[in-house]
Amino acid sequence: MRSALIGIIFFLAIHFAPAQSMFRGDPAHTGVYAGTAPRQFHRIKWKFTTGDRVFSSPVASGKVLYFAGDDGNVYAVDIGNGRQVWKHATAGPAPSTPAVDGGSVYVCSYDGRLYAFNAQSGALKWKFATGGERRFEAKGIHGLKPRNQTIADQFDVFLSSPVVIQGTVYFGSGDGNLYAVDANSGELRWKFQTGDVVHSSPAYADGALYFGSWDSRFYAVDAVTGKERWRFQAGEDPLIHNQVGFQSSAAVVNGVVYVGCRDSNLYALDVATGKEKWRFNNEGSWVIASPAVKDGKVFFATSDSSLYRVVDAATGKSLLRDDTKAYVFSSPAIAGDVVVYGVLNGTLQARDVNTGTLLWEYQTEASKANKGWVLSSERKFNGPLLFHSPWREAATVAVDRQFNIGAIFSSPLILNGIVYFTSTDGSLYALE
Amino acid sequence: MRVLPALLIFSAAICNAAELTPGRWEGVVRIPERDLTVVVDLDRGAGNDWMGSITVVGLDIKGAPLSDIVMKAPEIAFSAQTAPPPRGLQATFKGKLDSSGMLSGSFIQAGNTAPFSLKRTGPPDVEAPPRNTPVAKDLEGEWRGGYELNGYKREVTLQLANQPGGATAEMVVVGKRTTKIPMDTVTQEGDFLSLQSHGMGMNYEGRFGKESHEIKGIFGQGPLEIPLVFHRGVAPKTQTP
Repeated sequence: MRSALIGIIFFLAIHFAPAQSMFRGDPAHTGVYAGTAPRQFHRIKWKFTTGDRVFSSPVASGKVLYFAGDDGNVYAVDIGNGRQVWKHATAGPAPSTPAVDGGSVYVCSYDGRLYAFNAQSGALKWKFATGGERRFEAKGIHGLKPRNQTIADQFDVFLSSPVVIQGTVYFGSGDGNLYAVDANSGELRWKFQTGDVVHSSPAYADGALYFGSWDSRFYAVDAVTGKERWRFQAGEDPLIHNQVGFQSSAAVVNGVVYVGCRDSNLYALDVATGKEKWRFNNEGSWVIASPAVKDGKVFFATSDSSLYRVVDAATGKSLLRDDTKAYVFSSPAIAGDVVVYGVLNGTLQARDVNTGTLLWEYQTEASKANKGWVLSSERKFNGPLLFHSPWREAATVAVDRQFNIGAIFSSPLILNGIVYFTSTDGSLYALE
Repeated sequence: MRVLPALLIFSAAICNAAELTPGRWEGVVRIPERDLTVVVDLDRGAGNDWMGSITVVGLDIKGAPLSDIVMKAPEIAFSAQTAPPPRGLQATFKGKLDSSGMLSGSFIQAGNTAPFSLKRTGPPDVEAPPRNTPVAKDLEGEWRGGYELNGYKREVTLQLANQPGGATAEMVVVGKRTTKIPMDTVTQEGDFLSLQSHGMGMNYEGRFGKESHEIKGIFGQGPLEIPLVFHRGVAPKTQTP
């Protein structure tokens, strides 16, 4: 009787414990966390600083946070005091959010490998080589010049974040594949080829993986066989390759896939067929952030138009909108009645889930310093001083400046009333 | 007794301030971790009014006109606007001129303020703003064209007219909505017609074919470059970029 009870408790612990151990909280990437987030900002509990910018989001397993940095390291940090538990180097920048499962940490690096580390010690278990990483690129992308020059997309900032299901690690790659790799051995199970870079993170539901590619298509692939179930064709932009591709990762809730796209739409697709249920057009603005879904509402934010938005999950009808002041690449995280997301102007914004009211903001010191006047006094991007020329390296320099003001690309992790996030100022923060 | 020191102070202030005469000033605006190299020319124009132009190295600003020039010794203030915000630089300089010819004060842009100091380096060389040229008689009147972008067709009408100060042009693009594009610069050089709307970040550059009676060119809309051919008063033929 006692063993049965223990068994039930163990089962419940596994299946109903707050999910925080992979990107967006759970395999379906709902972006919803247990507990509640603070409705007021009190203080920085601690700050942990790395050697370079950080785009990776933190995840938690037990009393340890895991994330990776552009300094190439994967970090394990004590959740209570912010002290380093271990770090392990990869051979490239690692703007990928780790997944923790079965005592292992899985993360992608720009060296073109998926790494598996012992979650407790940081010891390398194995690494799996893909066909190599690269950023999305195109001739004259975004109208940059020379028009006939192939230019890497400066805004392709993330690498795919792995999702782990039943002993298999799934992740996308710059070589255009979605990979399924054995979690224990690192052996390839299957790979699925798309037409371009896959830096979104696959969501898992009902035995399938749902992800978008920069080839302008969104795919559903069987998790066991790697066979395609359906594909959805989004918008294309053969002229300047600006309004094309999936950078956003999908959330799958109640039989519907919600995903943002660079073609400026937020799509709702039927999970079984891929048929479009509705689309919400953002008038030319990318939707890079992954949507969060809760209580029949979809929460997302836009880049160019810099808007926080809430739409009805069933119809796509607009319910709320507000100005975020700058681009949002960070995916909203919901805990209780608070939604939290980062902004590229170096602020973290917390809003009431129901009313959209801005509850509090935290601004990084780098953002306050505003070196080179990247921002206006209203914390909007200062266009004339940033993007003054489409020629040669001018845009690259501008984007680099833009990113170096403590921008927050990461999706916040909310746990026990504390908000964890990373910034391009090189730090992992714990706010309460 | 109190009047004398006050007079002395006033007199010293006058002596320390340089006379506001036309000139060129060069120096830097000290934005945090990013110095901007600036050249300012100030001169008197017709009617003795002040006029000026500014060059900012590294921001692609060369000879942009100055406005709101206020010269009340030793105070100097002027503004620069390269295009309406948020596209163009809109900035104000507020400073004082000292007896050595140094102009220093505050540079205000996008709500931020930074110190500047400019040294007088010589006589002014104010750059005249571009002027519209007349267009050939063959080009005057209404032209029609069209293009397709992201699956949507647009019909475009171009009106060209000669005025005493040069030609004027207005483009109207009809798609999902109607957009009027007033062109603030209109020039014709040989067969080439060039139109620019700095405010809307749009431009058109085309070549007039005397035999084909069409203007064949490229319509620039932000980062987009779209082929656009205008015909005389005929139904527009939609082009796909």
